[in-house]
Amino acid sequence: MAARVLLRPSRLIAQAVNIRPSSPRAFSLSMRSFQQQEARQSPAQDDRTTHFGFETVPESEKEARVGAVFSSVASSYDTMNDLMSLGIHRLWKDHFVRTLNPGSRTASPTSAWSILDIAGGTGDIAFRMLDHATNINGDLHTKVTISDINPDMLAEGKKRSLATPYASTGRLDFLVGNAEKLPSIESNSIDLYTVAFGIRNFTDKDAALREAFRVLKPGGVFACLEFSHVDSSLFNAFYKRWSFGAIPLIGQVVAGDRDSYQYLVESIERFPTQEEFKAMIERAGFVAPAGVGYENLTGGIACIHKGIKPV
Amino acid sequence: MSLSLSLRALPRSSSACSHIASVQVCRRTYYSIHHPDPPPFPPVQATILASAIQHVPRLGFTQAAVTAGAQSTGYLEASTLLFPRGPFDLIRYHLVTERLALKDRVQFPADSKLGLTEKVKKLVVARLIANKDIIGHWQGALGHMSLLENIPASLAELGNLADEIWYLAGDKSVDFSWYTKRAQLSAVYASSETFMTTDQSPGFRDTEEFVERRLGDAKTVGGAAGGFTDYVGWWAGNGLGLARAWGMKV
Repeated sequence: MAARVLLRPSRLIAQAVNIRPSSPRAFSLSMRSFQQQEARQSPAQDDRTTHFGFETVPESEKEARVGAVFSSVASSYDTMNDLMSLGIHRLWKDHFVRTLNPGSRTASPTSAWSILDIAGGTGDIAFRMLDHATNINGDLHTKVTISDINPDMLAEGKKRSLATPYASTGRLDFLVGNAEKLPSIESNSIDLYTVAFGIRNFTDKDAALREAFRVLKPGGVFACLEFSHVDSSLFNAFYKRWSFGAIPLIGQVVAGDRDSYQYLVESIERFPTQEEFKAMIERAGFVAPAGVGYENLTGGIACIHKGIKPV
Repeated sequence: MSLSLSLRALPRSSSACSHIASVQVCRRTYYSIHHPDPPPFPPVQATILASAIQHVPRLGFTQAAVTAGAQSTGYLEASTLLFPRGPFDLIRYHLVTERLALKDRVQFPADSKLGLTEKVKKLVVARLIANKDIIGHWQGALGHMSLLENIPASLAELGNLADEIWYLAGDKSVDFSWYTKRAQLSAVYASSETFMTTDQSPGFRDTEEFVERRLGDAKTVGGAAGGFTDYVGWWAGNGLGLARAWGMKV
């Protein structure tokens, strides 16, 4: 058993793309298994497909499957993040919020920012942004709407918000919704749109980017913190071994859910590279910041992309 | 051979270009007066920075000036995230636009009798005078430029300015002095710029004299270096001749 667990990561790295977590099999069966994969990869002709980790699934199915993943991890979300990233995810999120510098520097209620935190279920980013606006910029009016497609994650965020000073101030709002379609949010009404470790799970990322473009005010900012691709091949070798070897194992031991974390690392692998994602943002109409247009964190394990909606 | 080499190089460079072109304007590695460079800043950035620079005499090279620039062009406070380096992006905008404006500000008639050094002096002074409105904030700007993360971009811009000045002065040297000239002029310009931040004289006359003296020094040093090379070369030639005269196989 232990040997199988140890062997699996290297097989996955060797581009054995469609190996299922629980399928040790004799060689004689591999042909049949291959045909099954073929069948799984080619659903009905009229149905558009997308990635779910390394699997190819119909678009209609991805939302439900991502939903199942996050419902199952909601309660152990932070413990797992700490274990998987060795605590670094907190530094990334702090840095993300610090570079965004949310909150108005002129202390008038009319200049307060209206922030939309997409896929912000547990409130990690939202609370940090309100802290920053309040304590650093002295802005007591900036508001954050936390939106998440998953009611379980949002419930976790609501519970946590009670421990913050913003619980009953009207500066926090919760909204269950799909980022690809946000009908309850007016066009040109948001100053800052953030999505941290969320866009990877969207079924149609381009649609979500277009929707972000719609809800942002002219001059508003789209900011995304997401896992990305490591730029050094040596570091990448270590990183892949860690992510494919250790993370599903930690998921199994701590959260009792191996498949969800297998999905997590596979979806990271599937996510577009820094340059590709920057091109996607620009295709939606945004202008990338000066310089390279994105910022790699920890050698590219995570990456901050920003886009400004032109006036 | 050379044909096959260039053919091999072509697809690679064109694909690199098209890849970049989809994201930003393709950058050439050479300069040609027949193919003017694309504008140095993309339109949205240029709009905000051009407006921000108007606020510098009042606010200095600060984040506040960038924000004021964004707000007066219809952008939001949040839009300043377009400039991850904040004040330094504003400083760089000033450096780049003033360098490019130099060719329109100083023009020498074709039959100009001015020597190369005179032309260089005129260009250096003209570039320095372009700092006069913001001179009170220039020490702060020099401070920003000397921050570790900004040093490469600052030095590159200083090098570009030296190159521009020699080009506009009509220098066509293609020997090793190409490098020494640019290095010397960079040093002269950087010291003059620092001198100017403390200059109280009317019309920055002291700065002008300072530039004149520094360029004179550079000429003396350059002349001495050239003389020394001649001297060494002459003795080396003599030594060789003498050795051969003594029957050595050299």
